[in-house]
Amino acid sequence: MDFSLNQEQEMFRGYVRKYLDDAGQTKTAREFIKGETESLQSILTGMAELGCTSINISENYGGMGLGPLDLIPVLEETGRSLLPGLYLETNALAVPLLEKFGTEEQKERYLSEISNGTKSFSLAWLEPGGSYNPSGINLAVKEENNHLVLNGVKSLVPDAELADHYIVLGRTSTGNGKEGISLIIIDRTATNMTIQSQKNIDETRRLAELIFTNVEIPMNQILGPLNHGWETLQEGLLSFNAALSAVIVGSMEKVVEMAAEYAKIREQFGQPIGRFQAIKHRIVDMKMDLETARSLAYYANWALESNAEDRVQAISCARLFATDAFTRISSDNIQIHGGIGFTEEIDCHLFVKRARFYENYLGSTEHYYNQAATALGWSNKDEAIISV
Amino acid sequence: MDFSFTTKEEEFRHELRTWLEENLPEGWLDGTSKISKNEGEYAIFLRNWQRKLYEGGWAAIAWPEKYGGREATLMEEIVYQQEMVRVKAPALVNYVGIHMVAPTLMQIGTEEQKSKYIQKILTGEEVWCQGYSEPNAGSDLSAIQTSAVKDGDRWIINGQKVWTSFGHLADRCFLLARTNRFDKKHKGITVFLLDMNQPGVETRPIIQMDGQHDFNEVYLNDAIAYDAEIVGEVDEGWKVTIALLMHERTGIGGQVFTLEQQFNELVSLTKELKEDDQPLMANPLVRKEMIDLYTRTRGSLLNYYRNLTKTLKNGHPGAEGSMDKLMVSELTKELLSQSISLQGHQGILWKEDAITANSYWQNNYLYSFGQTIGGGTSEIQKNTIGERILGLPKDMGR
Repeated sequence: MDFSLNQEQEMFRGYVRKYLDDAGQTKTAREFIKGETESLQSILTGMAELGCTSINISENYGGMGLGPLDLIPVLEETGRSLLPGLYLETNALAVPLLEKFGTEEQKERYLSEISNGTKSFSLAWLEPGGSYNPSGINLAVKEENNHLVLNGVKSLVPDAELADHYIVLGRTSTGNGKEGISLIIIDRTATNMTIQSQKNIDETRRLAELIFTNVEIPMNQILGPLNHGWETLQEGLLSFNAALSAVIVGSMEKVVEMAAEYAKIREQFGQPIGRFQAIKHRIVDMKMDLETARSLAYYANWALESNAEDRVQAISCARLFATDAFTRISSDNIQIHGGIGFTEEIDCHLFVKRARFYENYLGSTEHYYNQAATALGWSNKDEAIISV
Repeated sequence: MDFSFTTKEEEFRHELRTWLEENLPEGWLDGTSKISKNEGEYAIFLRNWQRKLYEGGWAAIAWPEKYGGREATLMEEIVYQQEMVRVKAPALVNYVGIHMVAPTLMQIGTEEQKSKYIQKILTGEEVWCQGYSEPNAGSDLSAIQTSAVKDGDRWIINGQKVWTSFGHLADRCFLLARTNRFDKKHKGITVFLLDMNQPGVETRPIIQMDGQHDFNEVYLNDAIAYDAEIVGEVDEGWKVTIALLMHERTGIGGQVFTLEQQFNELVSLTKELKEDDQPLMANPLVRKEMIDLYTRTRGSLLNYYRNLTKTLKNGHPGAEGSMDKLMVSELTKELLSQSISLQGHQGILWKEDAITANSYWQNNYLYSFGQTIGGGTSEIQKNTIGERILGLPKDMGR
């Protein structure tokens, strides 16, 4: 029995923590909000130099060939400092998809770029209307002269302006079900594609619409089997959600620390407010949420790495708990801070906003409840359940 | 990360499992046993079970060999708890003796105390109870008022204890009494090994909200203890009680595994109970509740394993035990509450009229209210977590 990260993993966490601490923790996120992306770019370069971007990439493509558990320390630390950018999406979604489904050519090109930290990926899933269901995928992909021609609109695409490539869900065949959806890799610089930014509560992340008007791309940009992109995506989402849970744990840890530190120094009625049980017990509840989220997240990543039988329920439940608890405790953190917590100046609100960003990110809460029910064998078949 | 048990641990499991199958009362495993719940007879049954465990070498597995234990590792203790929960083994009537009194005596008892008490604890010949709480000293244990006044080599003890588990069956009591008054309430308390079979000790039953009788009031009217029955130093009993907590290596493991078991049983119940010919599990609202319970039950088990990993590495349990205790007791209450709700209005049927055998859910539900109180209330656990883990300032008055 040993339920802990190993020494190397904790040591690596130490390096990343120090690096991001030295960079001022949430300072990068705050500059990003103001539209200054230079410090983010330099941090991302620095993290790549530390090896963060190559951890889970095969050695053939310049990576370390390690697994999801080795990614946890980095993910947690990015959550802790609310780092903007696409580390999570690139390393925990695009990488597993490329590793498992990419052609040799695709791997050669994209995995090497990711590994050396020069390129990042985003995912274009939703369309206007905001439904994650297969019926919501209407972006038309037609085959013409040995090319694919794309027409339609993608919405709420994360950090579209930062990404170098997108994985796009498009409809390559008629109908509105799962079948006929394909994953297509598109460059940000594709001709006839325009980007229109969308304002978002969490200003440390940027969203945008992608508008495709007869965008022509080569056939070999399809990722995974044609018309079966939905199933392909589900595989990638298992990795993504296990990783997302770890990012959230990092954020939650910082939130609990903020609340506890403030309760030690803020005095009212002649004593630190942390002495009052109304405050103390609330922070303990937050701590309990944090540790439960951590246990579930670590186990989910272990289950993923060891291909355990219960991995689907472990991952969906880790995600469900983390997203819910993050919103709850980041909100409590504002209350603990009182008036100052309501201001822009203190970081409290940034964590609430990130929590809301993640709540229904790449799959709705309801979707993951259904996924868990199916995996546990509790769902009845006549219901429309989205499952892997 | 490694969630597996070693071959040696699995062999230990197999040995215990085999022994249990051969030695549990007839019909115990399939639920057809005819053990009388009549109080007197049940007490005899529990004492016999304690004796049987001793004879099989399963009464005190973690003890050193020289005292009759088998020096079980912490992981073997975990396996032991898992297996006992799995078969819903009868209660250990001498729990206080085996897990608290004897380990304390081994550490700080006199040679005379060791030879006089430890063997009889192991065999079950002498059952022990714990004399801690008083009517005005519950969460604030240091406020005890029961007094012990020196009279030659004797001490005259007066006062009242409460919530004394198995006090009605006990031969001896691990008793806290005030022997002195200092500014600090923690000082001036002494631990006595009190003989329960004497005229100055009177035990009265407390009937719980689940109709059972585990607890007692113990009245001490000029009860007598001797110098030789003091553990540690006079006036320094608080240190003894703190040292005693360190012997609880497995924390609330038993409750964690019971919670896991009850969750699995609740899933079965949710699939068995029907409305309009559909199992309740087909109802999306019920299913959502069940997924939340699944998540938190798994979470509490995994938290426990993470803390256990720390105990294995450090060699002793830390304050995280309070987090396990808080989470598991609160979650147990919620889970059992849900089990009553799922049964609809029939959920209030009790005893032989309940819709599940032996009123299983109703009894456990009613019992669960004690779990967030006994062994330190949830509020006390939160103080401990806040102060010892998060470093928040100590509560007023302490």
